[in-house]
Amino acid sequence: MSTVWMKRFLALLSLVAILATLAACAAPTAPPPQVVKETVIVAGTPKVVEATKIVEQTKIVERVVTATAPPPTPRPVTFVFCNSGDASRIDPADYTDGQTAVRAEQIFETLVEFEGATTNVRPALAEKWETSADGKTWTFFLRKNVKFHDGTPFNADAVIWNFARQWDDKHPYHTKEYAANEWTYWHDTLGFGFKSEKGALVQDISKVDDSTVKMVLSDASGPFLINIAIFSNGIASPASFDKFKIDAFKNPVGTGPFKFVEWVKDDRMVLEKNKDWWGGANTVAIDRLVFRVIKDNSARYLAVKAGDCNGMGEGANPDDAVAAAKDPNLQVLARPPFNVGYFAMNQAVKPLDNLKVRQAIAWAINKKAIVDALYGGNGVMATQFLPQSLWGYNTDIKQTCCDAAKATALLKEAGLEKGFTIDFWYMPVSRPYFPDPKAIAGAIAADLAKVGITTNLKTQDWAQYRVDARDGKYAMWLLGWTGDNGDPDNFLSTFFLDVPPGAGAGTKCCGYYNKDLNDLLIKAARLADVKAREPLYKQAATLIDADMSRIPIAHSTVPLIFSKKVSGYVPNATGTEFFKTVKLAP
Amino acid sequence: MTRYFIRRLISVIPTLLGVTIIVFLFIHLIPGDPASAMLRENAPIEVAERIRESLGLNKPLYEQYLIYMGKLLRGDLGRSITTNNPIIDDVKNRLPATAELGLTAMLVAILVGVPAGIISAVKRDSIIDTASMLLSLAGVSMPIFWLGLMAMYLFAVVLHWVPTGTRIGVDVQLERITNFYLLDALLTGNFVALTDLVRHLVMPATVLSTVSLGLIARMTRSSMLDVLNQDYVRTAHAKGLAERVVVLKHALKNALLPVITIVGLQVGGLLSGAILTETIFGWPGIGRWVYDSIVFRDYPVIQGVTLIFALIFVLVNLIVDLSYAFIDPRIRYG
Repeated sequence: MSTVWMKRFLALLSLVAILATLAACAAPTAPPPQVVKETVIVAGTPKVVEATKIVEQTKIVERVVTATAPPPTPRPVTFVFCNSGDASRIDPADYTDGQTAVRAEQIFETLVEFEGATTNVRPALAEKWETSADGKTWTFFLRKNVKFHDGTPFNADAVIWNFARQWDDKHPYHTKEYAANEWTYWHDTLGFGFKSEKGALVQDISKVDDSTVKMVLSDASGPFLINIAIFSNGIASPASFDKFKIDAFKNPVGTGPFKFVEWVKDDRMVLEKNKDWWGGANTVAIDRLVFRVIKDNSARYLAVKAGDCNGMGEGANPDDAVAAAKDPNLQVLARPPFNVGYFAMNQAVKPLDNLKVRQAIAWAINKKAIVDALYGGNGVMATQFLPQSLWGYNTDIKQTCCDAAKATALLKEAGLEKGFTIDFWYMPVSRPYFPDPKAIAGAIAADLAKVGITTNLKTQDWAQYRVDARDGKYAMWLLGWTGDNGDPDNFLSTFFLDVPPGAGAGTKCCGYYNKDLNDLLIKAARLADVKAREPLYKQAATLIDADMSRIPIAHSTVPLIFSKKVSGYVPNATGTEFFKTVKLAP
Repeated sequence: MTRYFIRRLISVIPTLLGVTIIVFLFIHLIPGDPASAMLRENAPIEVAERIRESLGLNKPLYEQYLIYMGKLLRGDLGRSITTNNPIIDDVKNRLPATAELGLTAMLVAILVGVPAGIISAVKRDSIIDTASMLLSLAGVSMPIFWLGLMAMYLFAVVLHWVPTGTRIGVDVQLERITNFYLLDALLTGNFVALTDLVRHLVMPATVLSTVSLGLIARMTRSSMLDVLNQDYVRTAHAKGLAERVVVLKHALKNALLPVITIVGLQVGGLLSGAILTETIFGWPGIGRWVYDSIVFRDYPVIQGVTLIFALIFVLVNLIVDLSYAFIDPRIRYG
């Protein structure tokens, strides 16, 4: 190639290069790749899973996946409830004491149960029930797909087994080994009677189908349904009795929201949540329920204060209840009044056979002062035997008390203006209805002394006291009653019915018998309809008030002390209270 | 010595027989019976009669006693009336709890009381002596019930140093082998449980020990003072022996005999004191059980537990008597 063409070629190349360079400079510069760090949190994985690098045209995404610690497994919620005593036998048919009831009611369920704080019943293991027109036949339709804690099915056979072993004298489990309490609750307290007895209330129990049970009664019974809700009719697993025999009471198996784990006598009973509970285990907030025994009331209160117990059962000293109400870390719940403390007079002993004398004594007793001073703020004056919370309460009955002048005038009319001397007995132990019997008896004695009645205060051992009071050995005495169910019959027939229907001998005592009252109570007990029964009980209350053989002094509420962290505990008048609704804040 | 031991063992039998007769008579002298104790306020009389018949309480007293002794000779302590549980089962569960509490209390009483008594004797009439004896007097005088509640309030409620009661925390797991929880924790190597057990034991054991501690301290002081004035002790001093050697090696041995007697007698005191301590601290022992049994007239339990207490007491005193021979070579039993 000649020099000229070489020069022209090189010039052209240079021109191209210059042009290219100029073009490159003129065009916008692409930004350097952007590094974007994207952190993805994956909860629950134990370590870093991946770190990926995604390169895109304009950016590099460095995706770093890290793992946080797995969400902490929620700690099991343990609730510690402290009582003044231990259970006796965890067999629904074979205990009568409240200490056993509070534990057993978490394990065993009844066909119907009390609703919240009331004595109304609602379905439980029975979804619904029907009664015949004459009130004698009851049909219970059982809940399906329910299992006992041991996996065996809850069905009509199991229900019949539970009732029959109490009712049928010839049932293989109706023997002495299984009856430390002689079936007293079934037979006497609920009045159901035994199969072999002529006058037994329950006549027949039969299976209609796997989910239906029929019970036939000898007569209509107003309290019958409410008695089915009582703890002694809790349904236990028949298979557990076949397995454990006479040790079944130490290995309770029910259908309830809690199942039995461990029992160290006089120390603790441990229950755990039943994860298969038909009512929904997720509705039960407590995983472990521990019942501890601390006998002394003060020590038990201190345990709640220290946080060793989340709550305590009844038996709080009145002073402790007052202090607890002021403690910012504690709360005091009140169980509605369901008892009555009364002053009794033996009309077989003169001059107590004179109505005016009895009325004078009633007017002389200063109930208001007694309740204000000696119940620690947990008492209300009683006008009648029924507490105000119970249907059948008669609001027309006026308070007869607190008027010494009236009492003196009545004694004068009775020809006893100079007064008289008489023995007056009080119990040696604290009772829910008389928290300090000695002090209360002393106060009553002082009131009577003001109107000229001199009393010799006496007491004796509690077991013998009850026997002697029942046998009419005392002239005047203190006693009381805590209801079993929410039925007025349980309060009134216990004390004023001469011959309970179907029973052997009656409870007549102490020279007092009112046939009209007796007939009224029998009639009321035989009606099923509350609307029909209620006016009869109000009438009965009027008759009792007119006769004045027993003077109702007070009803007491029972203070229950809990930590402020506790919610959902519903005190029930009958004492039947469930932990399935209880929550414990951390 | 062996003959003496056998003779003493044989003599336990009439002692226990006497205990069964006395207890049987006494409990039947108490008003009321298991049937009346079980009943509600207004239970019909027929219920009580039914219960009495099933329990055999309407039989003549001698017949009831013979039935009871017949079972006892077969090793059957009977069943609790309130729970229908075999009494021997309940004893196996509860006795270790009381023994653990009682032995710990006795250990505290000896480990603190004996040195306190020695120091008081050696430093006679000093401030230490006065303070020691005042404290021992306080220990003997203060009611266990009151002291327990005060200690619980201060150390558990206010200071949160220890729990208010029971043997072991509700959330602590322990495999129970012997029912002596401390031993079980050691056997299973469960030191978490061991720590928890000690925390639960320290307050009730200390409270229970106060009476015995006071008595042991006083007796040790008094006995030591007596021995320290003896000629051979003066000779030991004169020979130039160290004070510690004179006191601990020469004097203490001879001063121990009355102290051991007191320790043996205190076993009875600990058993009765345990009832109160167990009640306050929620300790599930045998003391509280027997108290409840008396309230509920649970005759078989009262009889069975009293018999066991008597046996313990007799055996402890036998051990005390035999220990004299070990401590003092001059004492020999034929």
